[in-house]
Amino acid sequence: MHKIQTQCFAVIYIPFYSLQCAQQKRALQICHHLSSEQLSLEVIESAIGRVPPQNIYDDASFDIPAALLDQDGIHVIELNPAAERAGIHPGVSTSQAIARASELVLYPRTLSNEQHLQDTLLQLAYRYSPFVENSAPGICTLDLKGKRIRKHQPWLRELLAQLRSVGLKAQAGIGPNPEIALQAAKIADPILEISQYSHLLHSLPLESLAPSAFLLDIMKSWGVRTLGALTRLPREEIGQRLGLEGLSLWDRAAGRSTNVLRLVQPPETFEESIDFEQRLETLEPLLFIITRFLESLSLRIESVYLLIAELHLTLTLENGEKIVRILQIPAPTRNVDTLFGIAAQYLETLQTTAPVTSFHLAVIPSRPSGHQFDLFQGGLKDPNRFFQTLARLAALVGNEKVGVPQKIDTHQPDSLRMLMPELDWSRNSIKKKGYPKTGPGLRRYRPGIAAEVQLTNDGKPNLIQSSVISGKIMEARGPWKLSGNWWDRTRWETKEWDIALDNGGIYRIAQRTTLQDQWEVVGVYD
Amino acid sequence: MSSSKIIELRKILAERYPQHTGIQALCTPTGWPPLDSLLGGGLPKGAITQLLIPNVSSGGAIVLHEIIEAMQDASRHVVLVDGKDCFEPSADHPFLLWIRCQNAAQALKATDLILRDGNVPLTILDFKQNPDRELRKIPGPTWYRFQRIAEESRTSLLTITRHPIAKSAQATISTTHQLNIDDLSSQRSEITKFISLEIIQLRTQLEYRYA
Repeated sequence: MHKIQTQCFAVIYIPFYSLQCAQQKRALQICHHLSSEQLSLEVIESAIGRVPPQNIYDDASFDIPAALLDQDGIHVIELNPAAERAGIHPGVSTSQAIARASELVLYPRTLSNEQHLQDTLLQLAYRYSPFVENSAPGICTLDLKGKRIRKHQPWLRELLAQLRSVGLKAQAGIGPNPEIALQAAKIADPILEISQYSHLLHSLPLESLAPSAFLLDIMKSWGVRTLGALTRLPREEIGQRLGLEGLSLWDRAAGRSTNVLRLVQPPETFEESIDFEQRLETLEPLLFIITRFLESLSLRIESVYLLIAELHLTLTLENGEKIVRILQIPAPTRNVDTLFGIAAQYLETLQTTAPVTSFHLAVIPSRPSGHQFDLFQGGLKDPNRFFQTLARLAALVGNEKVGVPQKIDTHQPDSLRMLMPELDWSRNSIKKKGYPKTGPGLRRYRPGIAAEVQLTNDGKPNLIQSSVISGKIMEARGPWKLSGNWWDRTRWETKEWDIALDNGGIYRIAQRTTLQDQWEVVGVYD
Repeated sequence: MSSSKIIELRKILAERYPQHTGIQALCTPTGWPPLDSLLGGGLPKGAITQLLIPNVSSGGAIVLHEIIEAMQDASRHVVLVDGKDCFEPSADHPFLLWIRCQNAAQALKATDLILRDGNVPLTILDFKQNPDRELRKIPGPTWYRFQRIAEESRTSLLTITRHPIAKSAQATISTTHQLNIDDLSSQRSEITKFISLEIIQLRTQLEYRYA
C-alpha cells in the first residue's frame, strides 16, 4: 500500500527584520560602550562567557516604540507594534514621529548587518532542510519533503532559539504550501502549524499578501479588507476584472498558491563586522565583541558540520591604517572559549597607533581531520592549549629561545636554529636513529667566558684563569682547528682544546683566531 | 567487546609489549633502561623526581641526552627547561621542545606554564649549571606547587641539580660518576655502563601525597 506523501513547508519569519537588525547592532554597541566605561562585573563575565549570550539582546524590548530610519536618516521606514500603536506610520519624518511618541527610539539602517544576519538565517535553516529559499529579507522558506518526522515543533524551537542567540526574534509557520506557511508564520506565537487552509487566515488583512498599491486600492474601494472577504468573491469574476494579478492574489488568499521554491545554497562565507560609534581605546570592549562574534560564527559553522581552522581579524584604525592578522587554529574547533583564548592572546600583545574604529572577523572553516595514532604513539592531548602555551613561553623567553632544535649544516660550533613546532607536531612519528653517540655531552656557556691561558713551550695550554674555572691544566688535547666562510666577512676560525683540570672537571676551551686570538671557556663536559 | 576478550587482549599486549603496559598508569617510561629499571618502570607520573649530580663532569649531560633520545625513539614528546641555556643538541631532536632560559626565575615560570599545560608527559628542568645563589632564592612552596600541578596534569617532572632543592620530590636519585678525559673519544654506550644511579629517597604514594 502506497503512502500518500503530503507536501509540507516551513517559513521562518522575522518581523520588522531591518529594525531588528539595527536593534541587534545597537545592543552590541551599547554593551561594548558599557564595558569600556563602566566595566561592570556582568559585562566582564559576559566577555568570558559566563552570561548566556541572549541576555544582551533582551534589552531590545518590543514594548518600547522603535523605528528604523532610511539611509538619509530623515524618514521612518519600519516600525515595531509599539510605535504603530503610538500612531506613527511608515513615511513620516523623524520630527513627526518623535512628536507622536517622545520615548521613540530611532535606529539608523545597517545594510551590512542585515546581509550578515540574512546569511546567518539561511545557514542555520540549511541545517534542518537542504531545500531552502531565500524568500525575502527576514523570510526563509524550507521545503520539508523527506523529513520523516511528524512533530516539527522541537526542531523549530531549536532554530528559533539559535536565532534568538544572535539577536533575532523570529516566528515560524508550517503549512501545506509556502503561502499558508508564511501566513501562519506571521500570526504565530512563536510557532503555528496549519495543516489545511484555516479560518485563522481569514481574518488576516490583505496587506499581509503585499499586493500592489493599485490592487489594494481597488479592493478597499470594494470593501474587501481581509483574506476571508476576498476568497468569498468568485475567482472567475476576479480574474475577469483584475486579470492575472488578481487571480494570483485570490489563489494566494485561498491558500492555493503553487509557486515553486527558488532554492539557494547558503553562502559559505562566515564573517561578522562592526563599525564602532565611539572609537575603542581599550581592549575590554573588543574582547566582548569578539566573544559575541565567535558565538554567532561558531553556531553558523556548526550548522554546516564544519570546524573553524583560521581566524581572520581586521582592525581599522582612526588614522585609516588596517591591521590584518590571520590566526591559525592548531586543532580546528568550534569551542568558543578556545577560539576566544587564541584571539585574546594575540590582542593582549597588540599595540596600535590609533584608536580602533571598526572590527571585522572572518573565520575559515575546515573539515574535521582524522588521524589514527600508532598504538603507543603519544599525541598532544589538547593541541590548541599547547600552542597557546607556546605563545606564552615565547613571550617569556623570546621567540628564538623556544622551539625544536635543528642543527645547521655547518662546522661552525653552536650553529643551530630553533623551529616552532609545526601544527602537526603531535603527529610527528619520524624516528631518527643511527646518529653518532660519541663521548659525553657538552654543557655550553653562552656566550663563551673570556679566559686568560698560559701556554707551555710547545704551545699547549698550561694554566687557565677565568670567572668560572681557574688553575693548573692537568691534561690538554688539541688543537682542533675549525674554520669557515673564509670567502666573505663572516669568516670564522677557531682552535679548540679539551682540557682536564685538577678539580676533576673536563672543559672545552677555544682560541678565536678571528678575534685577536682571544681565549674563552666554551663549555664543560658532563 | 566482552570482558573476557578485553582481558585476553590485555594479556597479548602485555606479552608483546611488556614495556608499554600496566606500569604506564603509574609511571612515565623514559625508555632509558638504567633509569626505568631503577624506578620500577619509569619516572613517577604526576610527581617530581630529583636527579642529583653533585660533581662536575660526572655524566649528567649524558643522562639528559639518553633520556631525550630514548623518548624520541619511542615517539614521545619531552620538554627541556634549560635553566642556564647550556644544552648542546647532539643531533636534530624533533620530539624535544627546548626552552632556553637565562636564569632560574625564568625557568621556574616556564616550568609552571608547561606543567599547567599538561600536554607533554615529561618535563626536564635542568638547573645543573645555575649558580647556587640563584637556586637558594627559589621559595620552598614553589616545589609543592609544582607537585600539585604535576599531580593534576598527570605529567612527570625531572629536576637535575647539584644539591637537593625539591623538597616535594617523590624520588631522589643520584650519580657520582667521574668522567675521564679519555672518555671524550669513547662511544657513549661504553661510558653509560659506568654511570650508576642510586636511589637516595623514595617516598610511597601516601607519604608523597601528604608531603
